[in-house]
Amino acid sequence: MSDAGFDSDALMVLIPALPLAAAVLIGILGKVVLKERSHWPCVLAIAGSFVASCFLLMDVVSLDKQDPHSIPAAEHAKPSEHSGVGIEELNTLWTWAWVTDAYRPAGGQDTTAHKAVAPAIADFRIDITLRADPLTCIMLCMVTFIATLVAIYASGYMHGDPGYWRFFAYVSLFVFSMTMLVSVSNFALLYVFWEAVGVCSYLLVGFWYEKPEAAAAGKKAFLVNRVGDFGFALGVFLIWTTYGTLNFHDTTAADGSLVMGVLGQARLSDPALFVGGTTATLIALGLMTGAAGKSAQFPLHVWLPDAMEGPTPVSALIHAATMVTAGVYLVTRCTPLFHMTPTAQQVVAVIGGFTALLAGLIAITQNDLKRVLAYSTISQLGYMFLSLGTGTLVGIVGGMFHLFTHAFFKALLFLGAGSVMHAMHHVIDMRRFSGLRHIMPWTCWTFWFGSLALAGVVPFAGFWSKDVILASAHDRAHDSALFEVLYYAGLFTAFLTAFYTFRALFMTFYGPLHTPPEAHHAHESPPAMTMPLVILAFCSLAVGAWFEWTHGFAAFLVRTPSLAYAPVYGEHGVHQDVFHWEVAITSTIVALAGVGLAAFFYLGHRKEVTQLGKFMQSPAGLWLYDLSYGKFFFDQIYAATIVLPLRCLAWISSWFDRWAIDGLVNSVGRVPPALGALLRALQTGMVQFYALAMVLGLLILLGSMLIWQPLG
Amino acid sequence: MAEVHLLYDTLVVGALLFGIGLIGFLARRNMIVMFLAVEMMLQGVSVSLVAWGRLHNDWGGQLLVLFILTVAACEAGIALALVLTLYHRSGRLDVAFWHALREANQPAFVDHELPDDPHPKPVWPELPPAGIEPPLDDEILVEREHRIHV
Amino acid sequence: MSGADMGGAQDLGAQWPYALAMLLFAAGMWLLLPRGERGGRAVGAGLAFAGLALLTLLVHFGLTIHEAGARRIEFVGPLPALGGWTRDGVFLVLAAMTVGSAIGAVTFRSPVYCAIWFAMTLLGTAGLFMVQGAQFLAVATVVVYAGAILVTFLFVLMLAQPEGHAFYDRISWEGPLSACAGAVMVGLMTMTLSAAIEPAPAADAQEGNSAAAQPTVAKWLEPKLAADRSANVLASEHVAGLGARLFSTHLIAVEIAGTLLLIALVGAIAIVAHAENKEPSTAASSAAGGRHG
Repeated sequence: MSDAGFDSDALMVLIPALPLAAAVLIGILGKVVLKERSHWPCVLAIAGSFVASCFLLMDVVSLDKQDPHSIPAAEHAKPSEHSGVGIEELNTLWTWAWVTDAYRPAGGQDTTAHKAVAPAIADFRIDITLRADPLTCIMLCMVTFIATLVAIYASGYMHGDPGYWRFFAYVSLFVFSMTMLVSVSNFALLYVFWEAVGVCSYLLVGFWYEKPEAAAAGKKAFLVNRVGDFGFALGVFLIWTTYGTLNFHDTTAADGSLVMGVLGQARLSDPALFVGGTTATLIALGLMTGAAGKSAQFPLHVWLPDAMEGPTPVSALIHAATMVTAGVYLVTRCTPLFHMTPTAQQVVAVIGGFTALLAGLIAITQNDLKRVLAYSTISQLGYMFLSLGTGTLVGIVGGMFHLFTHAFFKALLFLGAGSVMHAMHHVIDMRRFSGLRHIMPWTCWTFWFGSLALAGVVPFAGFWSKDVILASAHDRAHDSALFEVLYYAGLFTAFLTAFYTFRALFMTFYGPLHTPPEAHHAHESPPAMTMPLVILAFCSLAVGAWFEWTHGFAAFLVRTPSLAYAPVYGEHGVHQDVFHWEVAITSTIVALAGVGLAAFFYLGHRKEVTQLGKFMQSPAGLWLYDLSYGKFFFDQIYAATIVLPLRCLAWISSWFDRWAIDGLVNSVGRVPPALGALLRALQTGMVQFYALAMVLGLLILLGSMLIWQPLG
Repeated sequence: MAEVHLLYDTLVVGALLFGIGLIGFLARRNMIVMFLAVEMMLQGVSVSLVAWGRLHNDWGGQLLVLFILTVAACEAGIALALVLTLYHRSGRLDVAFWHALREANQPAFVDHELPDDPHPKPVWPELPPAGIEPPLDDEILVEREHRIHV
Repeated sequence: MSGADMGGAQDLGAQWPYALAMLLFAAGMWLLLPRGERGGRAVGAGLAFAGLALLTLLVHFGLTIHEAGARRIEFVGPLPALGGWTRDGVFLVLAAMTVGSAIGAVTFRSPVYCAIWFAMTLLGTAGLFMVQGAQFLAVATVVVYAGAILVTFLFVLMLAQPEGHAFYDRISWEGPLSACAGAVMVGLMTMTLSAAIEPAPAADAQEGNSAAAQPTVAKWLEPKLAADRSANVLASEHVAGLGARLFSTHLIAVEIAGTLLLIALVGAIAIVAHAENKEPSTAASSAAGGRHG
């Protein structure tokens, strides 16, 4: 209980419960009763969730203030709830599953090292426990804030759609799932809601399911995520067999003894309580596979660009700001597990850096405004993973910081793109319109804010967070050639980011006014859509600088139990007060160069690009262009190497099933008709024939009775 | 004649009635005759029941026959209503006409050709309808007029 | 019982006279049934008569292979004034009338004749009931069957019968097979009877010849035969006794039977009325046909 006067337990329940109630309400009443008013329950519920999240945040902050801000470095803190260096509040609602003595490690595992990390015998127990710690609170506030704005925006954007009520039911359901995803304190429940947000994503990507591309995109998103989730599930299984629990937090057994959670404060205080070596690497890689699937990292990034078939508010909410960051959240949450295995951390960093570069290269040639933003999202998520992969506390905090700022400006950009789409009558190809600043001033200026933030120009939000990421990579570059490479890749990506962002901005809003014929009366979007844009633009400008200068974000976030014990593992704490002037200046120069190049190519009359045009006409240029424009042909490669063999296997199975197994079954099935055909001749339809048959039967009965059982 | 002898003889008569009724039911094509045959089978059963009731010195046999009588009356009523309906539909009382419920690929029942009926139904003299003035021949009218005038 | 089993099995082979009688009866029935041509009816009648006569000899006059016993217990019936042969005669005449008219009822071409023959059968049955001491049933059969049901049959015949002999009245469906089935049924029942009432005294016969002369009857029959029927089914107040049972022990059955009659009445009207309403065209044509009939 906090001194702010709020019941934090009730708040924790209220945050997911409100959207769930709205989803149920809209689901039941939407089609018949609510109809065009369906957005009201959704907006009000999510806004209520946001308010509750803010109160919960204040509550946790007040806890933070209560505790002495000290991180014991040498001696271990006494492990017990609420008194550790990490702050967390837990609210156990009910027990969902409870199998007593389910955990009995196999004999082969029963080594001394194993005994240290897992109990000899343990229950399989899943309590529905909601948690509140800095990480969760930040995610909750961010998710509900963006969702509120997107819901308001969607009430304008989706106006008149036949599935209006359905859309808001799905959005409410998604917000419920996402808030639960970041609130639960158990790997199994995390997996459940991990899947739940996937389902909501599937439903919303395929929202216009009459459209074949949308249905296919939804399917693709779901199937690619299955690959990642498979790895995630393996990781969770391995956690169970290794640690004998799936809970994050410490619990108390029936006999009063302490059961250490995987990420509980009791275990965190002592590195010896975590396994290392191959097991740790496998666990971390499994979790990373799930994170890569959800966060669209190479090689599972192919679903996110296709997911742009969904309504644009969905792209902004789910595929830019919230759901795709679940992977980052997961890795951050499991920081101690990754800590035990530098190999896995390097894998995370390499995947992140490579994805960032790859997606940036693809984004520079895309002509579809939403596609550019989608690849930009992949690229920025890659940054986050790169940052997490550095393994330093600065990097992890930086990754989360970038997640936080990115949510604002990427949602802003997507909503701006949606505003353009709305005006252009669902035309999104940037070659077909230009100069829209004349008719859409609000959209244009807010898009400027978003672009500057994404490009990382001082003092916009993206600058500060990206700076932290590059700085963390730069720190590691001193002792590792790998991170040096990754640092330069990140710098180059920053350049690409600035270039493609402003390419999109200039192609869309500058040049002569030109609209496609489909847009009969191009106009600025209604206030319901521009108002969220303005709010988000303000956030894009302010949120980074404010948190950077006050150091509030990092100082608060490191009180999360998973991060709070970093000193125990030999980390040096947060170096927030050391501002990397070197990195900051470099990245600013790089970003400005990107902006300048984009302006050079795409602003004005575009006569200056003839030189480049000549190069592009050469085979090498064409090849490079095709490579980028064709998204490095990942879809085709996957189609040839994975989809095609699977199709062949499916075809063979189908053939075998149809002809071998069904043939067997059918041949059994043909026996009764064959027998029936013999008897069919008896079915003459003549009443007297049937009577005669009955009489003959009776005669046989009587005769046999007389022969074998005389009455005498 | 002894009790058991009476029982025996009566049972044989009952069996004969039952068997003859069975033959009639199986062989005859006229639905009304078929129902007569069924009634005859019931009679055979009734005779046997009464005989057994007597042997066992029990009213049950006779009581059961009374109920058979009731059921037979009901059955006759319903059956004749159905027969009438079927006759209205087909214009004949032939039970073999109704074999539409046979298996789909079964051939229809076809009668073999019959020789002409050597003894067609005799034409009986008709009675004039009662209560109506009979049509009068011209001769009679003339004769009457003649009488009146005379 | 194993001996009885053996005896029963042996008896079947020895009962060829029954089989012969039934064979004759079946052949006669086949010839009597409508076959499309007229010939052979007299022969059929002769054969059927021969078969039935043989059966009568076998059954009634005791020309069974085994001597029928239990003849000594005197017959106490409603005809006490008549002597032994008279009572036999009355029974035989009634039985002959019943069976003969039954054969007529199923073999005559004209359904009207069939109905009249059936009325004759009913009269014979009523007589048999009388011989059995069931006076009420005898009267009820005549009144209800001959008086009501049969008249209904005749009504329907008049409504539905087309002019002349319909072809389906001049032909049978599987005449020989039907005749055989009926005859075999009768034969089987008769043989079952003989096995039930005159159990083969195989064990007794071996003890001595005197055993064969003794009346043999199934053990379970003896108390039944010795029962005093004058106080019960043969009581002087016969109808009163029957009514008492009917309206006390079987009251619910009587109520159900009454309901059944009502339902049948409603059902018959509903069936006919429904058919009339549903197909006015066919109903009109059939009404025209009915007028012709």
